[in-house]
Amino acid sequence: MTQNDQNLSAPISCADFQERLPDLFASGSNGVPDDLTLQHHLDTCENCANLVRDLQYIADQARMLLEPAEEEPSPGVWANIQSKLSAELAIPELPLTPKLQTD
Amino acid sequence: MTLQAVPIAPSGPAPSLFKRNPPIAGEAEAIESAKAGDAEAFSKLYALHKRRVYTLCLRMLGNVSEAEDMTQEAFLHLFRKIGSFRGESAFSTWLHRLTVNLVLMQLRKKGLQLVSLEETISPTDEDSPKRDFGSRDPQLTGSVDRVTLERAVAALPPGYRMVFVLHDVEGYEHNEIATMLECSTGNSKSQLHKARLKLRELLRQNGQSSQPAVLKEAAQ
Ligand SMILES: [Zn+2]
Repeated sequence: MTQNDQNLSAPISCADFQERLPDLFASGSNGVPDDLTLQHHLDTCENCANLVRDLQYIADQARMLLEPAEEEPSPGVWANIQSKLSAELAIPELPLTPKLQTD
Repeated sequence: MTLQAVPIAPSGPAPSLFKRNPPIAGEAEAIESAKAGDAEAFSKLYALHKRRVYTLCLRMLGNVSEAEDMTQEAFLHLFRKIGSFRGESAFSTWLHRLTVNLVLMQLRKKGLQLVSLEETISPTDEDSPKRDFGSRDPQLTGSVDRVTLERAVAALPPGYRMVFVLHDVEGYEHNEIATMLECSTGNSKSQLHKARLKLRELLRQNGQSSQPAVLKEAAQ
């Protein structure tokens, strides 16, 4: 009897399965858990399968938040940076408003 | 009943592999000019990166005025130190790391205990994600847009939000986060998991009620 057979003969509970999730998500394995007990639970428990799908979905969707949002700092922020830098670095003239194009 | 197999690992590439920082047109020239003290170049770099830096600060701090202060600090720091940028990493990666470090330093100065995340992060039972051993709610997949997710993230308890933003949004590894937050990697993993569970809960509430719970919580 192999280790895996033993594992399969003793199915784990949802609580045990979910206990293992933080490490499983962090392991970065390519989609297939090396632990057959866990994969078996995932294959047969609708609730935990939904949970895992949702958590994967949230992690995937999080990446779209990296692209800059619409909000930006108020103009006062640049004004402060400008005056402090001018004083510190003796830079004569920083533009009043940041420009995307240099001339 | 046998269900279709679900891979446990995220379906996309690992966070460290996704293309986080594509080159920006004109950026390299602006960096070189800024190193030489060119004022126009400073303003260009600010214009190119202000949104991302501000958004990062806002997510980590959850407060507009503090986020603006830290954005200011980050860019001042950047402009003072730009001579030490050697281009080993993408400029935005360098800038974000600098910003994260400044924000964390600021939070420590304010006395926020980043080490004992367990307590500071989940102050009440109400904030803790519920275990899920048998609900029959619909799945989230396909239902969450950017605005909804952003609001849900804003409604997370601060410590959950910190780890979620650093890992899932910014793409840092658990060992990097552990170093930054001076906690164990196990702690980082478990906080991230709780953050995602809490988000799921918030997003589900959002999908079910006409008065979105996420909006109510975020408005507080
Ligand atoms: Zn289960």
